[in-house]
Amino acid sequence: MRFRCRRICRQSFRFLFSAFLFFITGCQNEYRELDLGMYQYRDTRDLVRFVYNAAHELRQEGIQGIESFRSEISKYRTRNYYLYVYAIDGTNLFHAGMPELEGKNLFYVTDKNGKQIALLIKRAIENPENPHGWVHYTWWKPGKFYPVPKSSCHFKVTTPEGKEIFVGAGFDYPHEEKEFIRITVDDAVNRLNHEGAAAIEDIANPLSEYNYRDVRVFVFSQDGSALISPVVNEQFPKMNIVDCVDEVGHKPFQKALKRLRKKDRTWEVFLAKSRYQRGLIKKCLYLRKTFLDGKDVYVGAVTDLPQPP
Amino acid sequence: MASEKTSNLEYAVNQVPPAGHLLILSVQHVLLMFVSVALPIIFTSQISESTEFGSTLVAFSMLAAGLGSIVQSAGLPFIGSGYLCPNVCGPSYFSVSLSAAWMGGLPLMRGMIIVAGLVEMALAPVVQKLRHVFPKFIVGLVVAMVGVSIIKMSVNSIFGLEYKGDAIRSTDIVIGMVSLMIMVLSNLWGKGFMKIYCLLIGMIGGWFFAVVLEPEYFFSLSKVNTMPLFALPVIGPEFRLITFDFSLLIPFVVISISGSLKSFGNLLAAQKISEPGLESVDFVPIRKGLLADGFSTALAGLLGGMAVDTSSSNIGLAGSTKVLSRWISVAAGIIFILLAFCPKLTVTITLMPKPVLGASIIFAGCFMICTGLLEMFGEEWEPRKTFVVGISLIFGLSTAFLPELYARAPELVKLFFTDPLPTTTILAVILHQILNLDRLAAGFKQKKIVS
Repeated sequence: MRFRCRRICRQSFRFLFSAFLFFITGCQNEYRELDLGMYQYRDTRDLVRFVYNAAHELRQEGIQGIESFRSEISKYRTRNYYLYVYAIDGTNLFHAGMPELEGKNLFYVTDKNGKQIALLIKRAIENPENPHGWVHYTWWKPGKFYPVPKSSCHFKVTTPEGKEIFVGAGFDYPHEEKEFIRITVDDAVNRLNHEGAAAIEDIANPLSEYNYRDVRVFVFSQDGSALISPVVNEQFPKMNIVDCVDEVGHKPFQKALKRLRKKDRTWEVFLAKSRYQRGLIKKCLYLRKTFLDGKDVYVGAVTDLPQPP
Repeated sequence: MASEKTSNLEYAVNQVPPAGHLLILSVQHVLLMFVSVALPIIFTSQISESTEFGSTLVAFSMLAAGLGSIVQSAGLPFIGSGYLCPNVCGPSYFSVSLSAAWMGGLPLMRGMIIVAGLVEMALAPVVQKLRHVFPKFIVGLVVAMVGVSIIKMSVNSIFGLEYKGDAIRSTDIVIGMVSLMIMVLSNLWGKGFMKIYCLLIGMIGGWFFAVVLEPEYFFSLSKVNTMPLFALPVIGPEFRLITFDFSLLIPFVVISISGSLKSFGNLLAAQKISEPGLESVDFVPIRKGLLADGFSTALAGLLGGMAVDTSSSNIGLAGSTKVLSRWISVAAGIIFILLAFCPKLTVTITLMPKPVLGASIIFAGCFMICTGLLEMFGEEWEPRKTFVVGISLIFGLSTAFLPELYARAPELVKLFFTDPLPTTTILAVILHQILNLDRLAAGFKQKKIVS
C-alpha cells in the first residue's frame, strides 16, 4: 500500500513537471500587438490594458459600445481610474468618473497651470512617438476640491460608423515612467529636426507638453552651454551642464556624451539626495543627439527611477 | 544527549543522501538561491550596460556563489564551516557596488569587492577571540534577528511588489498564501517525500496556480523561447581589468563589517540546527565559515561577479525540513555553476512569480526566528538580560521601522544604526558588557583577595 502511494506520488510529480514544461514552451501573449515592455510599473501596464480593451470594444461595436459601458459602469469606474470617451472636437460622450461632464465640449478647458488638456491629447494621439497617447496635467478627484497630478493614456478610435473619437483613462499621483521622458524628448527632437530653432520657444514653454511635474526637456550645445536650461526659465551663462556632478561625484552628462559618439540616444543613471531616505535615490537621464543650424545639440530630460519596495 | 537530538534529523550534517534525493534536495535549495540572481540583472540596467554584459555578470556571479557554497560546505581543512550554508549574491553590497561602477566602471567595482572580501577574511580570526561576549542568549537573539532581517524582502515579495508604491493585486495575495499553505501543510502533515520536499512542492504548486490565475505570469514565460539553452559568457574588456580607489575604502569596509556580522548570525544559526547537542558555541567552524565567506566575496570580485554572502533563507529551509547534509550545499553549488551556462533554465527560474518566492522565504524565516527565540529563552532569565535584549531590539528594529528618522541622524549614528541585524548585535554585545561591569569588578576583587 505504502509502495503504491509512493508510486502515485512520483507519477503525479512527473506529470506536473511535464505539464509545466509544456506550459513554459508553448505560451504566447494575448496582447502581442500591445507592447507593454517599456513600462516598469504594474499600475501603468494595467491602465494601458484597461484603455486598450475599451478602445477595442468601441472599434468593434461603434458608438453603441458606450451604452454597454453605461450598463456596466462599475467595470469602467475602478478604485484607481475611470474611463472617458470624447469626440475628436472635445465633446464628452461618456465619463465614468464625472457623468455631469457628458455632452459638454471641453476642448478649451485648461488645468490650473493653464495647460489645454484636450489639445495635448489630440497632439498625443497623432504622435507616432507616443503609441499610447500619454498626457500629463493636473485634474481633480470626483467629489473632491484639491488638484492632483495626473497622467492619462489614450487611444484614437475610428468607429465602424466612421466617427473619430478618443478613449482614455488616467491615474492620480502617477509613477514616473522612463517611457514618459522618452516620448517627450523624442518628440522634442522631431520638432527641432522639422522646425529648427523656431521650436525652442515652444519646447521651453512651461505650458507645453515638454514640461510637466518635475520633468523639463532641456537642450544644450556641445560646449555645455544651455539653450534651454534644465532647471530655470532663464539662461545662466556660467552653467556648464557637461561638468555637472551627482551626489557621488559621477558626471552623468560627460559619460552620456561619450556614449553618444557611437549612437544617437542613451540613458544614464545618477544619484540624488532625498530628505526622507537614508541612502541616495536613483534618477535617470535620457539624452539624444541631433543637429540645429548645422551644429550638434543635445536634447534630454531627467526623471525618477523606481525605488525598491 | 547529542545523538538523541540528531536522531530527529532526516539527514544529519555529515550524512550523504542517496543520489536521487541529493539531486532533488539540491534543486530545492537552488530555487531559493535564485532570489538573488535578480541583483546582477537590476545592476546591469542601472549602469545602462548591454544585455551581453548582463548575461556575463549573471554567469560570473552565479559561478562565484556556486564556488563559495562548495568552499563553505565541503569541510576543507582550514576554510569553510562544513554546514549547509550556501552562498548567494549579497544585497547589502548592491548600493556601494553601484557607486563604484559609476565612478570607475566594473574594474573598480571588482577591485573594491576584493578589498571587502579581504577585510571579511581578516575579521574571521577576531570573532574567535570574542567568544566571551556572545553568551547563549545573545547567540539566540542574533539567530532570531537573522529571521527578522528577511521580513521586508519576504513580505514585499509575497504581495508581488516589484517597486515602491506599485499596485498590489488580490490574485498575488491569494497565490502567495496558497503557496505558503502548501509548504507549511506539506511540512506538518506530510511524511518522508512530502515533508522533505515541502518547499519544492509549494513552489511548483504555487507557480502552477499563478499561471492559471494571473495571465501576466503565464505570458512572461514566453521570454524563455528566445533564450539559448547553452551559452558561454562573453568576456568584454571591462572583465579583464581590476582597479582600486581609496575614497571608496570606508563605505566598502563598513559594508564588509556589516556583512560579516550577518554571516556570523547565519553561521550561528547553521551550527545551532546542525549540532543541536552543543552546549556552547563552537567558534572554530564559525571562524572557518567567515573566512570562506570573505574568500568567496574576494573570489567574486576576481571573477567579475557581484559580491556574495551566506543565505539566511537556505539555512531556514534546512532547519524546517530537518535536512542538514552539507553535501546538499555542495551539490547546490555545482548545480548553480552549471546553470550559469544555461540561460534558458536561468531565465525560467528567475520568472518564478514573486508571491511564490516570498512564500518560500517566509517559510524559511519562521524557523530562524523560532530557533533563535528558543535558544534565547532556553536558559534562566534575569533582569539584566531583559534590558540587554529589550534595548538592543528596540533600537535595532527601529532602523527598519523608522528609516526616514535615521536618514537625518548625525553621521556617527548613521554608521552604526544600519539594519536590524548588525545594530541589534552590536548593541546587545556592548550592553551586556556594560550591565555586567559590577560582576566584572566583583570578580577582579575576588581574584585580588585570593592572590
